[in-house]
Amino acid sequence: MTMRLANGAGSLIDREKPVAFTFEGQTIEGLEGDTVASALLANDIWTLSRSFKYHRPRGPLTMAGHDANTLVQLPDEPNVLADRLPIASGLTVKGQNYAGSLARDRRSLIGTVGGFLPVGFYYRSFYKPRGAWKVWEPIVRDFAGLGRVNVDSRHGYYDKQYLFADLAVVGGGPAGLSATLEASRAGLEVILIDEMPAIGGALNFARFVNGHADGLADAVGSDPNIQVLSGATCTGWFADNWLAVVRGNRFYKLRAKQVAVATGAIEQPMVFRNNDLPGVVVGSAAQRLIRLYGVKPGTRAVVVAANADGYGVALDLHDAGVDVAALVDLRHDASPCHFSDQVRDAGIRVVAGHAVSEAHGRDRVTGVTVAAIVGEGDCAPSGERIDCDLLCVSVGYAPAAGLICHTGIKLGYDGDTHMFTAGGTLRDGLMASGSVTGAHALEAALAQGRRAGWAAAKALGANPGAEPAVPNDLGNRGVNHPWPIFPHPKGRDFIDFDEDLTVRDIKNAIADGYSEIELVKRFSTVGMGPSQGRHSALNTARLTAKATGRDVAKVGTTTVRPPLLPEKFAALAGRAFTPERLTPMHYRHKDLGATMMVAGSWWRPAFYGDPASREETIREEALAVRNGVGLIDVSTLGGLEVRGPDAAEFLNRVYTFAYTKQPVGRSRYVLMTDRTGAIVDDGVACRLHDNHFYVTATTGGVDAVYRQMLWWNAQWRLDVDVANVTAAYAGINIAGPYARAVLAPLCDLDLGAEAFPYMGVRTGTVAGVPARLLRVGFVGELGYEIHVPSSCGEVVWDALMAAGAEHGIRPFGVEAQRLLRLEKGHIIVGQDSDGLTHPYEAGMAWAIGRKKPFFVGGRSIEIQMKRGLARKLVGFTLVDPNAPIPEECHLVVRGKEIPGRVTSCSYSPTLEKVIGLAYVAPDQAEIGSEFDIKVDGGRLVKAVVVPLPFYDPDNQRQAM
Amino acid sequence: MTCPLNGPRNISEFVYGGEVVTMPDPARSTDAEWADYVFLEENPAGVVREWWCHAPTSFWFIAERDTVRDEILRTYPAGEVFKDRIDFP
Amino acid sequence: MTAMRKSFVHQPPSVEADATAAARMGLADLSLRPRTGFKGPGTMAWLAGQGLVVGEAANIAYPQSSGLLVAKLAPTEALILGGIDGNEATIDTLDRTWSIDTAAGCYALPRRDTHVWLRVTGSAAPVMFSKICAVDLRAAKFANHTIAQTSVARLNAIVVRDDLGATPAFHLLADSASADYLWRCLIDAMAEFDGAPIDENALHRLL
Repeated sequence: MTMRLANGAGSLIDREKPVAFTFEGQTIEGLEGDTVASALLANDIWTLSRSFKYHRPRGPLTMAGHDANTLVQLPDEPNVLADRLPIASGLTVKGQNYAGSLARDRRSLIGTVGGFLPVGFYYRSFYKPRGAWKVWEPIVRDFAGLGRVNVDSRHGYYDKQYLFADLAVVGGGPAGLSATLEASRAGLEVILIDEMPAIGGALNFARFVNGHADGLADAVGSDPNIQVLSGATCTGWFADNWLAVVRGNRFYKLRAKQVAVATGAIEQPMVFRNNDLPGVVVGSAAQRLIRLYGVKPGTRAVVVAANADGYGVALDLHDAGVDVAALVDLRHDASPCHFSDQVRDAGIRVVAGHAVSEAHGRDRVTGVTVAAIVGEGDCAPSGERIDCDLLCVSVGYAPAAGLICHTGIKLGYDGDTHMFTAGGTLRDGLMASGSVTGAHALEAALAQGRRAGWAAAKALGANPGAEPAVPNDLGNRGVNHPWPIFPHPKGRDFIDFDEDLTVRDIKNAIADGYSEIELVKRFSTVGMGPSQGRHSALNTARLTAKATGRDVAKVGTTTVRPPLLPEKFAALAGRAFTPERLTPMHYRHKDLGATMMVAGSWWRPAFYGDPASREETIREEALAVRNGVGLIDVSTLGGLEVRGPDAAEFLNRVYTFAYTKQPVGRSRYVLMTDRTGAIVDDGVACRLHDNHFYVTATTGGVDAVYRQMLWWNAQWRLDVDVANVTAAYAGINIAGPYARAVLAPLCDLDLGAEAFPYMGVRTGTVAGVPARLLRVGFVGELGYEIHVPSSCGEVVWDALMAAGAEHGIRPFGVEAQRLLRLEKGHIIVGQDSDGLTHPYEAGMAWAIGRKKPFFVGGRSIEIQMKRGLARKLVGFTLVDPNAPIPEECHLVVRGKEIPGRVTSCSYSPTLEKVIGLAYVAPDQAEIGSEFDIKVDGGRLVKAVVVPLPFYDPDNQRQAM
Repeated sequence: MTCPLNGPRNISEFVYGGEVVTMPDPARSTDAEWADYVFLEENPAGVVREWWCHAPTSFWFIAERDTVRDEILRTYPAGEVFKDRIDFP
Repeated sequence: MTAMRKSFVHQPPSVEADATAAARMGLADLSLRPRTGFKGPGTMAWLAGQGLVVGEAANIAYPQSSGLLVAKLAPTEALILGGIDGNEATIDTLDRTWSIDTAAGCYALPRRDTHVWLRVTGSAAPVMFSKICAVDLRAAKFANHTIAQTSVARLNAIVVRDDLGATPAFHLLADSASADYLWRCLIDAMAEFDGAPIDENALHRLL
């Protein structure tokens, strides 16, 4: 049966453009502009999903995208708001949270036959005996819940964008539109954010008592100073007027100098038995259906009203051809409103001083019981039954004040208007206007909006003219009924539809002692569902106030935090910018078949070959360096230029060693400690000039080292300049007995051991490229570290590979390098040290310059050494060569103590045994001492302390 | 936050560097004084002077921040506080 | 054939297509073009000694009669970009003239190697930037020859507005090791504006 109105109603739909989609396998015809919900209602389908706990049938409540009753399932996405989601051809939609079929959910029995699950049920029922929750959890989770995540769905394209505005207006209703226009006229750049596809807010669907705002939306739409974001949700306010706005697959980060909140008000449900039945809606939902979508909401309706808006709803229904069986006014003695005469003239029966005490029906409301109100929240036990398929309630509003609350402002409660309140200028750069402040009269909302726009312009130094006047009467009286809550002895009087919470659940929570609103929420879960209390907070506060004998103002509301509506992780991730750094020779490594690994933000070759032959390849690469010649890309090493008359003095302060007397043409090890004395970085300092050091730092550490250097000199004010030139240099380390033979023909320097000794530094050319050459020995062989401009890295790499061919040159990766340096007993900062390691613990006392007055960390090391060493890093081998090989972070154990841990361990193909570094107790650190390592599986492996380095103890090979 | 060199920027462009404290003389201070300098911050409820670094330019400056209102009151170059060269005799 | 930075190899479909893209949303790689930089307290004095005219304000780029653009990144730091017609020799001269012994308090920076140099052009460029950068680069808010040192796609970057005729255009310099990554991010962000890589000739045609 089609419920589409025949006349021209429906501002959002295009009657010329039918769109077909499926719901629960059934083909549904809708119109372009329909949401899933409006299209279904146009086909008289009201049950969209099943409720969270009791699997009760649920249908649209607000048609505003504010409630959880319309959450539906898409193939790739659960929990989609059906009253927001536009239909599209071929769209496949299903209901949620049912077993069997949506129409006949087997689990709905839990809500009809079985007893209702009281609040706290889970806490009390499933936690004993121990381990019981593990059994129950999957069952409970299967029963309770929302949609299903399709883990096979593909990641969509989501991105982000910054927006900038003088004024951001949130909400495109009358107040927001007039704020927007007023500010724009004063010259401000304005962005207007509105949830709906078309701006106008209530102007597009409500029946106003008086006042007009014709042409307002058109004026905004045609103003070039105004950017309108329709169909966009502002999900959060953050410091300095930073707004999060989600529209489609784009997440906007909006920076506004001023923010005007005109988010309106949310019509509130009434509480009575079976108030969750499909067909029970707030009055504005019926108006939205009629005016936005041209859908007749029902055939026979009962309207419950406690304000003029309800009378307007009755008239709208009447005009749309709905038989209005009765208008039930909760008030005994309501004074006539603007619509009273029209309602009477339309022949609509008005029943004053009555309420609906119960709705009837199984999957859809089929009738209601109307009973006299005999006390606050108390209906006469029997009443008149009226048949209907639609029940509209207009009993009041709660401000859509989420954004305001994000700023830290707490809502008040006005005992005269029975409204939560927030209004006016809330803080610098943030104003509220319209019905979010309680201004329900159209003229008042428009005037408040104008004043907000004016105030924004004024604050930004524009000249907006005279301050617009705002009427004293906001129209906030007689809008909210003080107590639209009619608990039923038989229950099912829902306070919170999201969580299936009834009046009794709230009362029980309070009776259990959870009387503060935040505790009521946490114990009962009220307000925790997808609609975040938008339809439950007000009535919960009222119930709590009554049960605890306090004012609603005293009870207050729970803290509101972003996001206002669910944000998808994909939206938050956006394009997920993760910088990746490539060395200048990156594509050479790829060509050579390297298996790449991540090192900080860099990609580096782990080894050259297939992952399947990993161990073998690493071994071959290591042996190539020991016995022939190897080549490694060390471009990722940090590079810092330290220049100026105080360069040496500066290094003397930031590094542990002494540099003032370091000769030009020599390099020296650098070890950096932080203020606590812990090792944080190392490298070498090459003196290229009296006033110029080229300092290397670790791949992962250089940015922090650079920053720390600048920080120290911001205080010391030495005459020195530090520049981070890491990316400027391609670094290639050629190492092995044939290194000199390979390099010599390419280099203009005398590479002889005397002319260019170990730890020497020279500048020259390699393959015609200007180069800095360092004789360093990280891997313990004759070697040259060649630093050339990064743009020339490939040229030099290629030249070395070509020149080395006759010597069997072999590129080696990070893994072989780690093994080779371990054989030499060199530490890797961050692997063999931790956040507490000081140089004495790491066996690096030799790197401390004792004669200088100061270095960062020096005093702290001195203080620690007064207490004696707590642990020491030692080299070890295994007593039993066939024992399992310990791994990094396996513990060194002694009885019940854990004196240390393994930091590096590997089988050395050169030494043909297992070698490693470990922290042990100081009294275990003597050469020959034995200690136990607890390996995987708990077995203890005996290790023995041996001298370092393991390989070439006299360091002859690197000095060749 | 407003960087004295680069103007107002997202806070994500900045790196925190701790409270501005004066280093005691490492040669004369007691162990306790030194430990206080290294490990303890005043963390007052009120106005605090802090180091901040604008990461894209590695520019260190000082911010005065009200920790109660989480409001940055003023930012200025470090030279306003650290005017003279520091030496360790 | 060895692998190379394919993203940077651009064969324009046609000169006209490239020029159209440049006016709408274009991305050119100028990394092979000359550039240099200096920093330290003596920098401005030394540059003045080399005949460069640089104003007081930092984060402003100062065009030189020679065609160079001197981007003053701080009171003590300058980035010098060759103009559209090259200035290879001028920049070489600066680099060769500089010496740690003679340029007191002024230190050379290897900007050719530390930084990739891209040119982002076209009417859509400011909006495209708003997807990867938090600074408002729209024409009315970010005057020609203004500099923003900020984060672009989470990389530290230098953005210099330097229009080509009436077309908004920006220099974008960032870590050279991250060049491939940055290029990918830009191509992705440009897609909705029909952005395309362009070659240097297209830049000339905008003048």
